[in-house]
This record gives sequence, structure tokens and C-alpha cells, in this order.
Amino acid sequence: MKKAVLLIAILMLTGITVHAQEKLTGLEIMKKVYNRPTGNDMEANLTMILISSSGNERVREIKQYIKDSGDVEKKIMFFIKPADVRNTSFMNWSYDDPKKDDDQWIYLPALKKIKRISSDSKGDYFMGSDFTYDDLGDRKPEEDTHKILREEKLNGEDCYVIESIPKDEDYMYSKTVTWIIKDKWIGLKKEFYDEDGEYLKILNIKDYKKIKDYWIITQTEMDNVQKNHKTVMKLSNIKIDTGIPDSKFTERMMKRGLK
Amino acid sequence: MEKLINSILKKPAIVLVTILLISIAFFIVMKKNSRMETDLDKYMPQEHPAFVYSNKAEKWFNIKDGIIIAIENKDGIYNPRTLKKIKDLTKKLQKMKEIEKNDVTSLYTADNIIGTDGGLDVKAFYKRVPETKEKLEALRNKVRSNEMIFGRIVSDDETVAVIIARINDNVFSQDFYKRIINLSKEFEGPEKIHVAGRPIVEGTMALLGPADMKRMVPIVILVIIIVLYLVMRNVKSTLFTLLVVLFSTIWAFGLMAALGIPIYAVSTMIPVMLIAIGVADGIHLYSHLFHFMQENPNADKRTAVKNMLHEMWKPVVMTSVTTAVGFISLLTSEVYPIKYFGFFTAFGVMAAMVFSLVLIPAGILAFGLPHSKKKINIDEEKLDDSKDGIAYKFADWVIGHKNSIYAVTVLISAISIYGITKVWINSSFLEKFEKDSDIVLTDKFINQHFGGTSTLNVILEGKKEGEFKTPDVLKTVAKMQDEVVSTLPVVGNSFSLSDYLKRMNKVMHADSVKYEAIPDSRELIAQYLLLYEMSGDPENLWQVVTEDYKKANITFQLKSDNSKALKSAIAVIEKYRPAFAKAGIELNYAGSGYKALVFTDLILEGQIKSLIMSLFIIIILLALMFKKISIGLIGSVPIIITALIGFGIMGLLNIPLSTTTALISSIAIGIGIDYAVHFIERYKIYAGQTQDKVKTTHYTMKHTGRAIIFNAVIVIAGFLVLLFSVFPPNRTLGAMVSLNMFTSFLGTITIMLVILYGTNIYFQKTKTKGE
Repeated sequence: MKKAVLLIAILMLTGITVHAQEKLTGLEIMKKVYNRPTGNDMEANLTMILISSSGNERVREIKQYIKDSGDVEKKIMFFIKPADVRNTSFMNWSYDDPKKDDDQWIYLPALKKIKRISSDSKGDYFMGSDFTYDDLGDRKPEEDTHKILREEKLNGEDCYVIESIPKDEDYMYSKTVTWIIKDKWIGLKKEFYDEDGEYLKILNIKDYKKIKDYWIITQTEMDNVQKNHKTVMKLSNIKIDTGIPDSKFTERMMKRGLK
Repeated sequence: MEKLINSILKKPAIVLVTILLISIAFFIVMKKNSRMETDLDKYMPQEHPAFVYSNKAEKWFNIKDGIIIAIENKDGIYNPRTLKKIKDLTKKLQKMKEIEKNDVTSLYTADNIIGTDGGLDVKAFYKRVPETKEKLEALRNKVRSNEMIFGRIVSDDETVAVIIARINDNVFSQDFYKRIINLSKEFEGPEKIHVAGRPIVEGTMALLGPADMKRMVPIVILVIIIVLYLVMRNVKSTLFTLLVVLFSTIWAFGLMAALGIPIYAVSTMIPVMLIAIGVADGIHLYSHLFHFMQENPNADKRTAVKNMLHEMWKPVVMTSVTTAVGFISLLTSEVYPIKYFGFFTAFGVMAAMVFSLVLIPAGILAFGLPHSKKKINIDEEKLDDSKDGIAYKFADWVIGHKNSIYAVTVLISAISIYGITKVWINSSFLEKFEKDSDIVLTDKFINQHFGGTSTLNVILEGKKEGEFKTPDVLKTVAKMQDEVVSTLPVVGNSFSLSDYLKRMNKVMHADSVKYEAIPDSRELIAQYLLLYEMSGDPENLWQVVTEDYKKANITFQLKSDNSKALKSAIAVIEKYRPAFAKAGIELNYAGSGYKALVFTDLILEGQIKSLIMSLFIIIILLALMFKKISIGLIGSVPIIITALIGFGIMGLLNIPLSTTTALISSIAIGIGIDYAVHFIERYKIYAGQTQDKVKTTHYTMKHTGRAIIFNAVIVIAGFLVLLFSVFPPNRTLGAMVSLNMFTSFLGTITIMLVILYGTNIYFQKTKTKGE
């Protein structure tokens, strides 16, 4: 009997949850994805594989540290491979304030100088990959208008299918469509359409893990179908919430490099 | 053979109807299936190593030919209106379905690598059109200080800016060209818009040449009809001679269409050849017929036709077979359109032979003998009397001056050989156009303001990854670029990975000119490149180097696409081959300009090969036909002289060899041999009949000499019409065909006659008997 009551309770509860979920708007869903907690800091090895249309592969290995300190997200990266760019480091400060552009620095060990770099927009490709800075999660949900197209199963997961259209007409994409896992708030797949409305890229999440209660995406693949160019990003040796100090994200550390 | 023809001719009406029906069938197939091939890449032998390599390299670096649109404002381009035009035109070009977005380069799309206080930035020159004076001035300074843009996309005097739209080989069409022109017209005024670039030149040429031919050929035929009529003074014989040409052309093109082979630019020469060759058979047949009718005024048409065939089938078959063999020898060419040209012309020649032997007699049998006897007969007899006089006198004069003729021949041959040494091949497409045509003027204009409209790509291939991050290698590349550009005025510019590195090194050192050089450290080069990839559009980088830094592409901009210009650049580049080889780097060439260069060399090589080969085959054939080796040699004299003079004059007048002019030598063979065969055959017959050398030369000159001169006059008149063509290569063709006809004719009735006379062939037996 007790079991039956429990079962009913669970059923009711789930029913309520489902009901609540149905009420979510597209924007709310995208906000949940954007704000999905991933810890305050993270240390990991990033392997980036660039695959050209002819099948040629270039592998880059990077050590990266990320820390979210409220209104600013700081990131520092050190190249491990290829050897001729070892210890080239890259630092990025991204601000919550949408009016404020990212601050970016690069340190070239061969030149022994730190240079500030800037780019025209976040639509720039990240380190020659098929990802733009926006694709890597910098784009804020408020910049687009979202619409729930449907709900469907993808890879055995219940997903929302959300269509996002940028408010800025000059943006590099005219539309994106994202499959979002309902209770995990992970975008499992995303299709990108270029300015002319033509199919441009597809992002697939190949692997994600639960680390310290956080859902962390550990392997993604971006396929530019127009250029037939592909980028695979893998995270390994992930350490979360180890208490990386703010002093890690300084020009001094950039210069010091990996020992 | 004769029996066969005679039995066929028992029912002339059926023969006529059958040929007509087959011709109509071929005509329908031709109308339905014929298509013109305008993609010049299809002309080239794709399996040739140079093409295979170039095509591969074009894929590695996305090398494509560019349409260049220049926007000219005499007051300078730095004003909101002109800048807006650059932006709008760029965007419109990017939206065209034939053009990929990334393949359009202009001031609006170009990357500006600049140094900011202590940093590096890759920015657009402008996104929103600058309106204020300060902003315009700032843009001007940005462009001036960027050597990767200044003088390349904006002219040094700041009055012209170019937009370059690179397109694939196969997208050019008349419609696309029209849309580009219309688009540029929209932006015209007060700015001037100029459109140039290789795709435009190639495309226009591929369309203009055949279009001009289409317009000119009917006029050529009309003139031939008129002259043919003036010579034959008879409608029926004129008509049937023309039908032979017309049907053989239809059969050749019909077969081509039936086999699914497209019409190439050279294929438009097939009717030209068939006209020149086809009328000959008709003229000789009718000429003989008239001759026979004069001697036997009361003979009926069957007797006349029988005699005509009996006496003439042999020379007609012999001339046709030798001519066809001459064209068949073109099958040795590596260039498919030329192979097809040779094959289908040979087929057309054989068809013309059959028609001459069947259609003409059938026509006579069906429609009666080709002249109303009385009136013209008297006229002709009179004319003939005077002509006899001329023919005899001329023959006597030739024999009388044989030493002078030998001397003149030797002299002319010597001058021609000297001329031949000066013959050069030109792969230029541009130089095929009128000097004051829009296309040439625009090209000149852009060449005045920029590096050049033609490109040569040098492809370097290293053995290991990262080869093109090595300072020494890059320094050699930069040195080679400098030497080529500074020593050759025809090379206006060059571009490679070294230019990116020089620019970045300079910018990273506070714009100090001292640092506009390749860095000494491999690490620094690697780090600069990484930096560029992180801040700019790496797509641009992959046009000068492959992603593994194993292969590099150096682009030279030339102000001319002619072979001399390309070869001069290659000569300087070749000096660096050993230096690269030492580093294990292979050097090769790519791009459409280089392919055209290789292509013309191939054509020439093939042409010379087939010329020599056909000469030998024809000597052998003649020797077999006349059962005398000496006849083979004598018969080839007019051809050799024609070829010598033809090429010699080209050399002396600085007319370069090109696809069309090289083919003209085939005509020399095709027609020269006809004259010789007819002449020798007649000479042999009269020699047998008269056993008198003087009489033989007289009669031969009267009989065949007249036919030959008619033939020459008709074809020359026809081809001189091409001198009024709007497409210069077609003009050259007209002049050269006329010249070849003339020298063949003259060579046959002078030097060949002298030699024939001198050798005593066909008289020797009598002499030995007499002795």
C-alpha cells in the first residue's frame, strides 16, 4: 500500500514537472542551458583536431584554466603542441556586461612580448577552428528570439528542438536549431544556417560526463558542411572547483608558461 | 571502282534521293544533338602530367581565375559614393550563384593586418561607409600603410579600386557574362566601371570566334558561289559542286553529333577545309567534262559522263585519299579537339569524294549536261582559243626559265627557312582580340594601375610538414619574388606566405620598416601564423600555403598573358630551382596561364609531328599510286614549298603560331597534294598519248592548269572574305588559307612542272627504245 502511495506521488510529481516544463518558453530553456552550472573553475587539457576537406589533420594540445568570478569569466590557455608554438599563451576576459568587449592577450615566447589582440566580432573563428567564440558558449540568450519547434527523442534523450533567430539582422547566422536534453540542459546537437539561410554547420556533442555534480561536455565535433572542414574538441584531465586563484590569470603567468 | 560507279549510276534519281535523305537525317541529328564546347579546360589533355599537377594544385590552394571589376573615379575613390559602390557591388557579386562568397575580394572584404598600441589586429577596412572627412582620411591612411593592399586592390594614384571575383572554370556562360556586364552598368556614372580578367577573355573568345565564323561562312560560301558561277558559267554545275561541299559538311557534323562529340572551336575550321578541298573535285570533273564536250560536241550525256568518270575517277580518289591521310595524321595529336578535327575532316573529305563521283554524274544524268550548247559554245571556244594561247605560252615560259625558277625557289625557300626560325608560339588569348577592342583596352587600363591581369602560380612542395615555417626557405621564396618582380617589367606583383610574415613582423614591431622581413626564428614564424589564425580569417592563408605547411603557392601577376612574358618569368624562377632542390623542395607551375602555355607547346609539337608524318605517308602513297618513288618526291614539292612559305611568312610578319594558325599547315598539305596529283596524272596520260614532252606540258597546262587556277581563284576569293572578319584569328586564317592556296597553285605549275620536265619521267622508256 505504501508502495502504491509512493508510486502515485511520484507519478503526480512527474506529472507536475512535465506540466511545468511545457510552460517553459524558448528563451527560458536557452537561459537554463546558458546558466547551467559548471563549477566556479576548471582545469583541463584541450585537444583540438582540425580536419581539412582533404582529410589532413592538425592536432593542437592546450592546457586551459577557466574561472568564473561573478561578472567576468577569465580563461588562460597554454599551447603544448605543436612544438614550435609551445608556451604560446592566450588569455581572455569575457564580461557579463553585453556592452563590454572581451579583453584578449597573447604571449609569443619567440618574441618575448605580450600583445593585446582584438577582433571585429565574436563571429570570428576560434584559433582557426570551425567554432566561433559565440559557438563556444559566449552568445547570450537574449541576443536571439527563440521558438520551441517540437519535442523529440535524440540519441535516447528527450529533447526540446529550439529555433533561434538573431535579433541583429547582420549576424553571421540567419538561424540556428538546437536539440536540448530536457533535464540536463545540454545542447546535444545544433544546426547553423548562414546569412543566406543555407545550411552551414552542424555541432554534435559526442560525449558528456557528470563531474562533481556538474554536467560537463567533454567531446564535441563541429562540421562545416559548406567547406567540408571539421573540428573535434576533446577535454581530458578535467578538474573542477580546485580553487584556482585569480593570480593565475595575469600577464605574469602568461609569460611564465608551463613548466 | 569505275564499274561500281557506273552500275550505281544506272538509276541517277534514286542516287540523288538517297543522298538527299541521308543528308536530311544527318542534318536533323546535327540540329538536335550538336552542342558547343566553351570550357577551354576541356580542350586540354587532362592526363598530361602538367595538367594533372596543375589541377591538383588548383584544388590545394583554391586557385581560380578572377573576373576583375575596376571602379574608377578620377577624383579619387575616397568619397562615400564610390566606397558605397565598392561595398554594394561586392555584396551583389557575393550573392551571384556562380560565385562563392569567400571568392570575392575588394577593399570591403579585405583583411587589414594592423598594429595597435602594443598589439595586432586583423580588421576590415570598413563595414559602414565612412561619411565624415576624418573617417575618409583615416581609411585612406589605413590603405596607404598596408603594402598587402595598396597597389593591389587600390591603385597607387587612388583613383581606381578593384573587385576580384574568382570563379570556377565551368561557370562561365554568355548569360553569366551578360549579368556581370549589366550589374556593372548599374553602378556606372560618374564612376567608370571596367570588367576584365581571364574568364572574361576566355569566355568571350570561345564565343566570339565561332560566332564570327557562323556569320562569315555564309558570306564565304556566297562569294564562292559567285566566283564558281563566273568560272563555270553554268548554274547546274555550280549548284552540284556546292552540294558536294554542303553535303560533306553536313555528314561530318552529323556524324559528330550522332557520336555525341561536341563542337570545339577548332571544329569550326572543318567547313573551311571542306570548302577548300571539296570544290576542287567538282571543278576538275566539270573542267574535264567541258573539255570533252568541246572535243566531242555531239556526244550524249551518258557518253560524256562515262568518259569523265573513266578519266577522272583515279585522280579524284587519289587526291581525296592523300588529303584524308593528311588529316588522319592529326590523330597523333595529344589534344582531343585536334584529333576530332583530323578525323571528321578526313571523313568529310571522303564523303566529298563519294559525292563527287556519284552526285555530280547523277546530277548530269538526271538534269542534263551543264550547258545550253550553242551560244556559250561559240563563246567558250573563243575564250578557249585565247586561253590555249596563254596556257601554252605560260608552259613554254616556265620551261624556258627553268634555271631562274630553280633559283627563285631556292631563294624563297631560304628566306622562308630564315622566317621559320623566328616563328614563335603564342598562348595568349588576349592578343587574339582587336587592339582597340573593349576587352584589350580594359586589360591595358587595369595593367597600368595594378600588378597585372594574368597570373602564374609557382607551387613549392616540401618533403616534411612545417617546411614553410623554415626561415631560410621563406627567405629564398621572398628573394625569388623580389628578383622576378624587380627585373621583369612585365611582372607587376607577387604574393605568397612571405608577404603575410613580412607584414606581421613589421606590424608587431611598431610598423618599423626595418622589420618588413622574414623573421629569423622558426618559432616566431610559427607563432605569428598561429596569431594570424587566431585573429584573422585563416581561409586567406590557405591560398598561399597548405594547412600542414608542406606546400606553398606563390602567385605572380603579369601584365600580359603572352608566351614570351610567361617564359621570361619562368626563366628567372628556374634559377631558384637548385636552391629549393637542396632543401628537398620541388618546384612546379600551375594555373590557367601556365596550362595554356603547355597546351600551345603540345599543339605545335603535335602539329609538326603530324606534318612530317603525313608528308612521309603522302610521298609513299604517291609513289605507290604512280608506281614510282620519284613521283612521290616530286609530288611533295609543292606541299613542302607551301608549308615553308606559310610558316616563313608567319615568322617574318611576326604572326605567332596559335591553335588556328598551326592547323593551317594541314590545308597546305590537303590542297597542295590535290594540285600535284591532278597535274601529274594528266601529265602521265598526255605523255602516254603524245610521247612528246612539249605537247604534254602544253596539254597538261591547258587541261589541269586551268582547273587548278580556277580552283585556286575560287577558294582564294572565298577566303579573302574572312579578312573582313571582326575576330582577328579568323582574319589570319583567311589570309593564310589564301596564301597557301596561291603558293600551292604556283608551286605546282612552276617548280613542280620544271622538275617533272627535267627528270624525263614517262618519256624515258621511249628514249631508251629509240636509242
